[in-house]
Amino acid sequence: MATVHFSRGLARYTGGVESLTVDAPRVQELLVVVTERFPGLTQPLEVMAIAVDGEVHQHHDYLKLRPDSEIHFVPQIAGG
Amino acid sequence: MPQTQAYEAPRTLADAVRLLSTDGHARPLAGGTDLLVQSRATQKLPSTFVDLKRIPELVGIEVGPDGLRLGAATSAAVICEHAEARRLWPGLVEAIGLLGSTQIQGRASVGGNLCNGSPAADTTCSLIVNRARGVIAGAKGERTVEVERFTTGPGRTVLEPGDLLVALVVPRPAARTADAYLRLIPRSEMDIAAAGAAASVTLDERGVCTAARVAIGAVAPTALLVPAAADALIGSRLDDAALRRAADAASAAARPIDDKRGTAVYRKTVVGVLTRRAAGIAAERARARP
Amino acid sequence: MSTATKTFEHVGTRPIRHDGLDKVTGRANYGADYALPGMLHGYVVRSPHAHARIVSIDTSAAEAMAGVKAVVTGSDIPKTNAKLVMGEAALDLGAMGDNALAHDKALYEGHAVAAVAATSPEIASAAAEAIRVVYEPLQPVMNVDQALAPDALILHDGMVTKGRPKPDAPTRTNVALRMELTRGDLDKGFAGADVVIERTFTTPMVHQGYIEPHACVARWGEDGQVVVWTSTQGHFVVRDCCAGILGIDAARIKVIPSEIGGGFGGKIPVYLEPVAIALARKAHRPVKLVMSREDVFRASGPTSGTKIRVKLGAKKDGSFVAASASLYYEAGAYAGSPAGAGAMCAIAAYDIPNFLVEAYDIVVNRPKVAAYRAPGAPAAAFAVESVVDEVARRLGKDPIELRLQNAVREGDQAAYGPEFGPIGLREVLEAARCHPHWKAPLVPQPGRKVGRGVACGFWFNAGLNSSATVSLSADGSANVVTGNPDIGGTRVAQALMVSEELGIPVERVRPIVADTDSIGYNDVTGGSRVCYATGMAVIEAARDAQAQLRARAAKIWDVPVEQVGWERGRAIALNGASGREPLTVSELAAKLMHTGGPIIGSATVNAPMAGPAFGAHICDLEVDEDTGVSRVVRYTVVQDVGKAVHPSYVEGQMQGGASQGIGWALNEEYVYDAEGHLQNPGFLDYRMPVASDLPMIDTVIIEVANPLHPYGVRGVGEVPIVPPLAAVANAMHDATRVRFTALPLSPPRVLAALKQRG
Repeated sequence: MATVHFSRGLARYTGGVESLTVDAPRVQELLVVVTERFPGLTQPLEVMAIAVDGEVHQHHDYLKLRPDSEIHFVPQIAGG
Repeated sequence: MPQTQAYEAPRTLADAVRLLSTDGHARPLAGGTDLLVQSRATQKLPSTFVDLKRIPELVGIEVGPDGLRLGAATSAAVICEHAEARRLWPGLVEAIGLLGSTQIQGRASVGGNLCNGSPAADTTCSLIVNRARGVIAGAKGERTVEVERFTTGPGRTVLEPGDLLVALVVPRPAARTADAYLRLIPRSEMDIAAAGAAASVTLDERGVCTAARVAIGAVAPTALLVPAAADALIGSRLDDAALRRAADAASAAARPIDDKRGTAVYRKTVVGVLTRRAAGIAAERARARP
Repeated sequence: MSTATKTFEHVGTRPIRHDGLDKVTGRANYGADYALPGMLHGYVVRSPHAHARIVSIDTSAAEAMAGVKAVVTGSDIPKTNAKLVMGEAALDLGAMGDNALAHDKALYEGHAVAAVAATSPEIASAAAEAIRVVYEPLQPVMNVDQALAPDALILHDGMVTKGRPKPDAPTRTNVALRMELTRGDLDKGFAGADVVIERTFTTPMVHQGYIEPHACVARWGEDGQVVVWTSTQGHFVVRDCCAGILGIDAARIKVIPSEIGGGFGGKIPVYLEPVAIALARKAHRPVKLVMSREDVFRASGPTSGTKIRVKLGAKKDGSFVAASASLYYEAGAYAGSPAGAGAMCAIAAYDIPNFLVEAYDIVVNRPKVAAYRAPGAPAAAFAVESVVDEVARRLGKDPIELRLQNAVREGDQAAYGPEFGPIGLREVLEAARCHPHWKAPLVPQPGRKVGRGVACGFWFNAGLNSSATVSLSADGSANVVTGNPDIGGTRVAQALMVSEELGIPVERVRPIVADTDSIGYNDVTGGSRVCYATGMAVIEAARDAQAQLRARAAKIWDVPVEQVGWERGRAIALNGASGREPLTVSELAAKLMHTGGPIIGSATVNAPMAGPAFGAHICDLEVDEDTGVSRVVRYTVVQDVGKAVHPSYVEGQMQGGASQGIGWALNEEYVYDAEGHLQNPGFLDYRMPVASDLPMIDTVIIEVANPLHPYGVRGVGEVPIVPPLAAVANAMHDATRVRFTALPLSPPRVLAALKQRG
C-alpha cells in the first residue's frame, strides 16, 4: 500500500485527511483512486507535479509504485 | 542601418564650411560616436556626412607659450597620450579620458562631445574651469565663444547652420594653478554622469587661493559655471570649511530633474560632494606645483 | 554507483572547448548571421501604449508600397487554447501567439501588433510607419499593488484564479494563480518563538541581458515544408510552439539552431518565429526578423518584479520554529510568473516545523516574463535570507552558524514536499565558514564603509527528455550528437563523457548540436539540465557503442562476448580468453568494416528532477557614504555541483550567476513612467555590471555526488544567481547598519536611506 501525503493546503479538499494509503500498481491508478475519493482535488492537482519516493517526475502515469512508496504533490516549476 | 545619401571628406576648412552652409541637412562627422548612434536610433540620416578628420586645422594638439590648441576632431586617445597636456591640465585630460571606452577613445573627439550639447558631457565642465574658448568657422568668417556660453540647452549650441567648431583654445595656467574633474556614475565605466564637477584653483606662495573656477554638469539643461562656489574658495586656504561652502554653493546652483539616471534630490546632494572633492584634488595638485 | 571512490581519467580536466576558437575569432554563426537568396527583411510594428484596445489596423498603404511583399497582423495567427507540455510547466500557446501578434488588446508598450516583410530593411521600416493602427488607450496596470486594487482594471476578461484561491477572492481578477505550502501549526509555532522578524521586500523587474538579440530566418517552401533558423534554447520547443500557434503540422517544420549568445531562460519562448513563418507563407520568400536591443528590453521576457512579505520566528538557541511568507510576482501581460517556484525555494534550505508560504501570479501591463536562471528563487531568497541575517544579528549568532544549525539534511522532508536525498548544504556552509574570505579582516579604504554579507541559495534543477547518439569513425574518432543548443560549454562536457567511456581523446570527439530532423527529441537547454540529463543520454549512448565494440573484439578474438571486458578505453580479455593483448578503440575502429560495419550507440532518457543543489555566497561591499555608490570588493561562491565534468565551465557558471545577481542587487531595474513607457531600454541606462565593476569572483566547488547520475553530476547553472541579492544586501547592512528591503541598491536609494538613518 503506497502512502499519499496531502499538504495542509491540499487537505482543505480532503476534509482534513492528511495521508491516505492506496493499493495501486502505478501512479495512474493511484490518481484515479485519490480523485474519486476526493473529487475536489481534481482541479488543484492539475497544476501540481508528483514526487514519488523523493524524485519529482514529469511523466508519471505509468510509473510503478512500491508497496512502501511515499507520494507527495508538489507545485510545478520551470527552469531557466 | 538606413542608407545615407552621401559622404564627403573635404581636405580644407573652406570646403567643409561650404558643404555645410549649402546643405542644411548635412552634418559634420568627427568620431561619429554620438552621430552614428543617434542616426541608428532615430533611423534618420543626414543628407551628407561631412567627415572632418582630413582637415589639418581640425586634427592635432599643440601646447605652446599661450596654452593649448586642440583640433576639434582630435581623438581622445591622442590627447590622453600627450604628456605636456596631461601635466598642465590633469583634470581636463582625465575628463577626456572618461569618454566612452578604450575602443571609443580612438574615435571620440572633444569637439564632438561639446557640439553634441549634452548637459552630462564629461569634458565640458573641465573646459569651462580652464577658460577654454571654441573657435568657430562659418560662412561669415571666424569667431570665438567661451565654452560656458557654447551650449544653450540639451542638444543645442550657439552653432548656426553652416558653422563648424574648428578648435578649442585653452590659456596656459598661471603658476600654482591646477584643475580636477569628478563625475558620479553608478558603474565604474561605460556610463553617463548623473552629476559632474570640475574645479580649477590658483594659490599664492602662502597657499591662499587667489583665483578659482567651478563648473557643474548633468544638473541643469547645460553645464553651469558656478561663481558662488568659486567665491567660497577664493581667499581661503582651501581648508575643509571652504570646500564645504563651495559644495553648498554648487548644490544651490544645481537645477536637476528626476530621471532614469537619478533623482533631483540625489543629484543636488552629490554635485556638492563632487565639487568639494574636485576642489580638494585641485588644491593638492596646485600645492605640489612650483 | 558510489562516486565517492570513482576516479576519472577525462572528466574533471579542462580542455579547450570545441566551439571556442570560432567564437573568439568571430567566425561562429549566431541568429542574425543567416541569409538566404531572395530573403526579405521583416519589421515588427509595436504598440506605443502599455494598455489599449486595438480598434482597427489599416495595412493598405503599406501593402501598396513598392518592395513590400507581405504584411501580417493578429488575424494571421489563429486564436487557440492549445497547451504544450514542457516538463512540469505547460506553455500556453494561445497566450504565446497573442504575444507574438496581438489580437484584440495591446497589453504592454512594445507588444507586436503587425509585421511587414520587404526587399530591404529601409522599405520594411518605412512600410511599418505606413500601417495605421487605431488604439483605444486604457489605464495601464503597472505593478502588484495596482493589479490587486479593488478597482483595478482587469487585463483579461474571464481570468479566474487557478490553484487555491482564497475563499473570499474576487471573481474578476488579475490574479492568475494562488498556491500555498503549509506544515504544522503556524500560530503555535510563532507563539513559541523568542525572536520574530517580519519585513516586506520588493525587487524590480530585471532582464537576463543576453548579448545576442532574438533573430531568425524562416522559409516556407512551395511544398509547404518550413525551415526556421533561429537563436533559441530549444529548437524542438520552437518547432512545437510554431506548429501549435500557427495550426500547422509539426512534421512539416524543421528548426535549425544557431550558436546562441546567451539565453538564461529568455530564449525558451518564441516571439519572432511564428511571425517570420506567417510572413514567409504570404510572401513566398524567406523572411528574416531581428530584434533591436530596445525590442529585446520592451518585448522579450524579463523576470518578475516582486513584493514579498516574510515572517520568521526563532528560539533563543537559534532554532527556527515558524515561518510565513506571501509572494506576489508580476507575470507581465499573461499568466505565468515563477511565483510557485519562488514559494518552493523560499525556505527550502531550512528545516522549519511550522510554515505557511503562499504565492500569487499576477498579470500587469509589462512584457510577459520568461524564465530567468532559477526563475522565482532569487527574489524569494533575497527576502528570506535578509530576515535570516537579521535573526542572526538579533540573537548575536554567527550567520553561517545559524544557517548550519537550521540547514536541511538528507532525509529531511523538503518544505515543498518530498524527502531530500543526499544534499550538500551542510558541506557548502562548512566550506564557506572555513574559507579564508570569511575569516579575513575587513579593511575599509579611507572615506568608505565596508561590510560583509553571506546568503544561501537553493534550486531544484530539472531532468526532462534527451536523446543522443555516438558514432565511431574508422580512424577511431567519434561524433556525439545531441539536440541541445550549447550555452554553457555543454558540448565539451559531452565530449569529455564520451572520452571517459570510450577512451578517445577529447579533441578527437566532435560534439554536434543537430537540428530537429537529425536527432531524437530534446527538451530545452534550461533548468540546469543539459550536462546532467543530456549527459546521461550521452553516457548511455557511449556505453551502447562500447558494448558493440566489445562484441567486435569478441569477433576478432573469436571468443564469446562475455569474455571481453572494457577498461581505460580498451577491450580486454577476461578469464577464458586471457593472454590476448588489449584492443584500443583505434584498433577496433580500423577493423570496423571487417567486423560488421559502422557503429552507432544511441540512448534516450526521461530523467527525473536532477537532484537539488545549494550554494552559499560571501560578499564584501564598500560604500561611499557621501554618494551612496557601492562596489563589491571581494566575492566568493561556494556550491555543491555533484561532479564538475569541466571545472572551468562550472566555475564560469558560478561566476556568471553571481555577476548577474550582483547586477540585480545593485543597479538593474526596469524604469517605467506613469503611462507604462519603459525609460531605459538599452545597456546604457539598464545598468548591468561591466567587467571593471566586479572583482575576480572566487569559486569553491563542492562535490556531493548525485545518486541519480552515473558520475554524480548535479545541475550547476542556476543555483549561483540565487544568493547574491541577499548576500549583497546583507553586506550593505553590515557596512551601513541599514536594512534595505527594496532593490536595487542604486546610489540614490542608498544615499536617501543613509540620510534617513542620520
